[in-house]
Amino acid sequence: SSVLSTEKDKSDSKDSTTEVASKSRESAAETPKQKLLDIIGNMKVEVSYRKKLQELKTREIKKQAADKLEGPDSEGAMLQRTTEDMQRGKPLNPDLVEAASAVASSLPLNKKQTESELLAQLRRHEETTDKQKKGGIINIRNVISEMAVKRQSPAQRAVRISNRISLELDEDGQRIKPERLSQSFDSRRYFRCFFFFVYRSLKVGRRLNIFTKASTETENALKKVSSPTIWDLEFAKEIAAITAQPPRNGFEEMIQWTKEGILWEFPIDNEAGMEDDAEFHEHIFLEKHLEDFPKQGPIRHFMELVICGLSKNPYLSVKQKIEHIEWFQKYFEEKKEFLQEI
Amino acid sequence: MAASALGWALRAARQVLPSPCPRQVRSYYVDWRMLRDVKRRKLAYEYADERLRINAIRKNTILPKELQEVADKEIADLPRDSCPVRIRNRCVLTSRPRGVKRRWRLSRIVFRHFADHAQMSGIQRAMW
Repeated sequence: SSVLSTEKDKSDSKDSTTEVASKSRESAAETPKQKLLDIIGNMKVEVSYRKKLQELKTREIKKQAADKLEGPDSEGAMLQRTTEDMQRGKPLNPDLVEAASAVASSLPLNKKQTESELLAQLRRHEETTDKQKKGGIINIRNVISEMAVKRQSPAQRAVRISNRISLELDEDGQRIKPERLSQSFDSRRYFRCFFFFVYRSLKVGRRLNIFTKASTETENALKKVSSPTIWDLEFAKEIAAITAQPPRNGFEEMIQWTKEGILWEFPIDNEAGMEDDAEFHEHIFLEKHLEDFPKQGPIRHFMELVICGLSKNPYLSVKQKIEHIEWFQKYFEEKKEFLQEI
Repeated sequence: MAASALGWALRAARQVLPSPCPRQVRSYYVDWRMLRDVKRRKLAYEYADERLRINAIRKNTILPKELQEVADKEIADLPRDSCPVRIRNRCVLTSRPRGVKRRWRLSRIVFRHFADHAQMSGIQRAMW
């Protein structure tokens, strides 16, 4: 009997392996189709699946019934397994199924039961992973319903809210929140939770790679522009001549004149064309430019008079005054030898 | 020599403006005297600063006289047309040297002509 039992076991295991192999082949063939079906209708899957699988499995059973060495036991086992298969939605990875069957066969007690339990475990694991992959739609209501209502002091609440929502404006230097105690819990909780999730979801998650990082382009160094050729000048002149249409009316004529400088700009600016950014002290205190001159003598006297006159001159710019003084300096430098003779 | 001078004078006389101007522009001066006057004005503008400074040295009681004599010589070396004294306020339209009203830069005849045709702004025949 023991020999028989071992033989039976061997044959059983063989059958199970063959059955598993066949099942795995089937599942491999059907996985894309069944995946699609899964995606389309998650809830309705069980009914249609069951029917389809039933049909397929019955066909397979009929095919394999001829090859079977053992009759009723294996068939019963097959049927059991098919029903189990039909009950679950998605077929498992064939490798996993094979591993499960191997584990079951290695264990001493009740191989079929262990195998079925292992497969069930695998299926549950697959389901959960599928759900997570499809994409963790955080059902806020579920989450909130799970959250317990906690009594907080208004100050704490206010502090917490102000910490999270930094956009709240404080009027009169006081927090606005304590005045709104009468509001319902739910709304605020929703708000807080929503904000919490928003804040979280902003920082967490895979990068979408929609926007390319703004490359900090080094500004193109000014290309060395060679002096414009005669042809460029001619071209520019031609363009200017073509684009400069004769004025259509008096206004355009006046505009043109103003651009050319024939007509002054109104309201008349008394300082038009005079751009003196220098302060008054630069105009008046010009002694610092007299450093190169000799301290004593007629030349110094003369230059001081010059500076006195320049300081009272409102018509010259500071640059022109400095040029004036420098001219004198240069002149006296040239005449130095002559002056020393005297 | 004469030909080159003539050529240069002709070019000067032509005085074509560089920028394309859509209006009608007179491209010649009225006569040669006017042209010479224009040259003198340009040179006077160029040498105005130098002349002023050298004259400041000359018309001086502080600086030594030798220096002033040197300055005299220097100013005499400058081109003759650079002195502003040689500029004559001629009529702009007829180049008439005399009878020119400074405000309008026109000779009396031209002024009268325009005033009678009411082309002078704010000018009216006097009657009192």
